[in-house]
Amino acid sequence: MDYDPMVMDDAEALGPVVKISQADSVRVKYELSNTDIAFANSLRRVMLAEIPTIAIDLVEIEANSSVLADEFISHRLGLIPLNADGIDTLLYARECDCEGHCENCSVTLTLHAKCTGDENMHVFARDLVPVGDRLNQVVGTPVLSDAEGLGALILKLRPGQEVKLECIAKKGIAKEHAKWAPSAAIGFEYDPHNKLRHLDLWYESNAKKEWPPSEYASWEEPPQEGEPFDYDAVPNRFYFNVESAGNLAPDVIISEGIKVLQQKLAGLIHELTESEEDGMNGGDYNGPRSPEYGTGADGFGGYTTPFGNGGNQSTWGGAGGATPYGTTPYGAGQSGWA
Amino acid sequence: MPRAKTRKEEPAEAESDIAMEEAPTSHQPEAEEDNMSVDQDDNDEAGAANEEEAEEEEEEEEVQRVRLLPGSTPTAASFEFLNETHTLGNALRYIIMKNPDVEFCAYAIPHPSEPKMNVRIQTFEGTTAIQALEKGLRDLQDLCDIVSDKFIDARAKFGEGVSA
Repeated sequence: MDYDPMVMDDAEALGPVVKISQADSVRVKYELSNTDIAFANSLRRVMLAEIPTIAIDLVEIEANSSVLADEFISHRLGLIPLNADGIDTLLYARECDCEGHCENCSVTLTLHAKCTGDENMHVFARDLVPVGDRLNQVVGTPVLSDAEGLGALILKLRPGQEVKLECIAKKGIAKEHAKWAPSAAIGFEYDPHNKLRHLDLWYESNAKKEWPPSEYASWEEPPQEGEPFDYDAVPNRFYFNVESAGNLAPDVIISEGIKVLQQKLAGLIHELTESEEDGMNGGDYNGPRSPEYGTGADGFGGYTTPFGNGGNQSTWGGAGGATPYGTTPYGAGQSGWA
Repeated sequence: MPRAKTRKEEPAEAESDIAMEEAPTSHQPEAEEDNMSVDQDDNDEAGAANEEEAEEEEEEEEVQRVRLLPGSTPTAASFEFLNETHTLGNALRYIIMKNPDVEFCAYAIPHPSEPKMNVRIQTFEGTTAIQALEKGLRDLQDLCDIVSDKFIDARAKFGEGVSA
């Protein structure tokens, strides 16, 4: 069978391109192009679930005569966005040397509200007061981004009712609990005209008429009438819409996302270079195995493809100089992403 | 043991409460099968005990997050990553396949409830699968650097455009 090597088109050889179409304090909309969907999706996933932020994790309730149950209030408190600027200085509580929690791995906030007037009282995120020693004055303070600067509504109190509680906010990631999510939402979209047919649109009589066009539809060439399906096409332009919940600025979310991805890679490189020395092939082991061809003792290289004989006879398996890759960023063995 | 006990009791209860014909199929006594299942339970428990021992042993060792699966040859190897997901797997697969010395690369998450991610790499002679993996990781880091720089540039330019 003819094996088509990944043809790097000229566009991709130029390296990734970022184009911003909107950026303010709440959202950044940008287009990432000339990369693979795998990388774009990694970036989306890491921004969604793996950027560390801070959120209330423990609540000690001293008094609660409101109509809401303790655990109900605790849950609401957990979801309140707290400012995560400078989260790098804060340790994860499980990695801290202290017993339980301390100022190096947590921020303590108190809430004490009693309705003394005649009318119902509203308790807002603003009423959460950070107490005790803190690493810096920003991290862990409630986000107050509304016009009045009140923050999220936590609960309402009838005359005479009171809540008094202490919250411990800790560092975490959204993979563990969604309350640590830095983004309110991340929009991710590609191929607005569905040329690749990754979508199977439902319709009454005509999908094109019934589905509203994407806001990016004008960015890309619409398909020609009667255009044949290009089965070699791959998605190349990805439209992100990163919406902040207030705990991190939207452009910080993107930078942090890339940073987290790089830390993940750095950790693995470190481990890989370290474990190479003590030999990774464990002796007795009956878990999943790498497929074995024969016994391996017959000197067989381990693969049975048409390119098996070292690849030198193949059209593109050689040193790389004579291949289509010779002129690519990868040809010289140094990374050419720049 | 508790599981085995309840199983034995259930048919008896059902008999005393209602006529057997009316009981749901799952509560119908099936003497032979029940015995078999009790036997299996005993086996399961023995198995579980072994597993627990194995787990304890594993915990004593340092957790190694990347492992070369046995049966690998230098140019064709499978790696098992612990606590990694599609986030890393798919991007790594993509970047390793970009390496012209790599003949084949694929990744899989064998089971969604196990925090494991497997990567298979087969290279041409002249390089090894481990080298290809390491190069892949470094290339992906470089790609991240570039995207990060490009974003910061674009953001700075966009800011200028707004203020101007």
